[in-house]
Amino acid sequence: MPATTELLFAIGAGPRVVGRTPWDLWSDSARRVADVGVGLRPNIEAVLARRPDLVLLYATGENRAAAQALRAAGVAVIALRIDRVEDFRRAARLIGMATGDSARAAAVVDSVDRTLARVRSRTAGLPRPTVFWHVWDAPIITIARGSFLDELLTIAGGRNIYEDLSQPSPQVSLEDIVRRDPDVILAGPDGAARIRASATWRSVRAVREGHVLVVDTSLIGHPSVRMGEAATVLAHLLHPAVVQ
Amino acid sequence: MKRPIFWVLAVAILAVLMILGVSWGTVPLTPRAVLAALAGHGDRNAIEIVRALRLPRVALAALVGAGLGVSGAALQGSLRNALAEPYLLGVSGGAAVGAVIGVALGFSSAIALPLFAFAGAAAAIATAILIARAAGGRADPRVLLMAGVIIGAFANAAIMVVLSGAPANTMRSALWWMMGSAAAADWPQVAWLAGYTVLAGGALLWFSRDIDILALGEESATALGVDAERAGRRVFLVSSLLAAATVAAAGLVGFVGLVVPHLVRAAGIRRHRALLPGAALAGASLVVLADLVARVAHPPAELPLGAVTALVGVPFFLVQLRRLS
Repeated sequence: MPATTELLFAIGAGPRVVGRTPWDLWSDSARRVADVGVGLRPNIEAVLARRPDLVLLYATGENRAAAQALRAAGVAVIALRIDRVEDFRRAARLIGMATGDSARAAAVVDSVDRTLARVRSRTAGLPRPTVFWHVWDAPIITIARGSFLDELLTIAGGRNIYEDLSQPSPQVSLEDIVRRDPDVILAGPDGAARIRASATWRSVRAVREGHVLVVDTSLIGHPSVRMGEAATVLAHLLHPAVVQ
Repeated sequence: MKRPIFWVLAVAILAVLMILGVSWGTVPLTPRAVLAALAGHGDRNAIEIVRALRLPRVALAALVGAGLGVSGAALQGSLRNALAEPYLLGVSGGAAVGAVIGVALGFSSAIALPLFAFAGAAAAIATAILIARAAGGRADPRVLLMAGVIIGAFANAAIMVVLSGAPANTMRSALWWMMGSAAAADWPQVAWLAGYTVLAGGALLWFSRDIDILALGEESATALGVDAERAGRRVFLVSSLLAAATVAAAGLVGFVGLVVPHLVRAAGIRRHRALLPGAALAGASLVVLADLVARVAHPPAELPLGAVTALVGVPFFLVQLRRLS
């Protein structure tokens, strides 16, 4: 999965990565690694064909059978679920230990934390615009308290209108978004284009007033080593005059 | 039930449900706030919620229900099959395949998606008629129904193949669509579906005598001087296109076409000239109600509309099946 592949390359284990999913496209050297198919219900044969010593799996019920099959084939498996920033720190330590790169893993975590702290201090006294984070539109999926993106948004000086919901990415209704009345909408390039072209989304004040901001979904979206960079970009989007 | 009472009741129930549909939702608004919003006064967000979100949504749900009800009634009559409906005949499935292919290719806009659905439904209709021809030489209603079920199965398989490599969000979108929803309703969509419903519904009403005769059986039809095969095909085609229009607008909403004609016939209405408008009214009521349940059952999330109608429709199907056997 993207988050762990990014982490592996960041801690210097990149040359030993023998397989990835189709979505692991950062960094450029990761693209050269063989694509063994999707990370949910992975193709066990394709994974084993790469002869890995260790497989990093997304921890979910759908992957339980795959984890068992891989362990039965003698491959070490670490199942990880990275939803919050703290999950990333834990995953980095775990992967660092497993690959023998503990020191570099700790350095990567430190660097991410330092950048996050810097952004947080930069936005500390600023007014906080309320934000609706658009993930998908049919059904409408957003980001809530369970996700690292909610944390990044807070660090970047925004306030998520769905910070009261505990899931990472809940489904919500347009009517409820109108009621919560965000100042700003964050969306990927395609999502933003669809929102701006839609008649129904015009019922949201932020859309009528032209406050739909485009985020780079390839940078912002993976709970990994580039979270600091992501928070900086978000802070710049929300507070262009203050944060460069 | 006396006929006039049925019509008064059907119109009154639909009116009450539509008023409820506009006044109720995820966001609680007082009746006074709803009235003010309808008139364009008061809080801007309330105005947007009532006029831009709820009104088109209730209108779209009513049209989807009317279309499916009429389509189901016409299919049940012309195929002489009490279990016939667009969902079970593979027409909705064909439309869904078209739409899912559209989503997988990256066309998720409100303009492009219906076109894909129509293409899929048209392919399903053509295939069903071809299979029926090849199998029976004539468009045998039973072979047609069987062909429909087979096409539905094929449609499911095709959707799974198309989606096998899709990213999670695309998958979620396609599945959401396959379960039906009126959440994305806007006025252009309503106008567009209204046009189809009026045209196709009017055509079916025009054929209503043919449907009456077809419902008596092919031999009686021939005796009465009606070309049963041609008349049947015509009805099948128009009702299928009507169903495809509803699929394009709101995804797969099953079992409405099955349940509604039975309800209207239970009120003593048999002739299709009256049965079709009756099914339109009852279908509209059923889907407006189902959409309301979908909106308020689990806020701020919404349930898929097709899941709500299936929860009502499947037990009903089983009761009908037992009655037949």
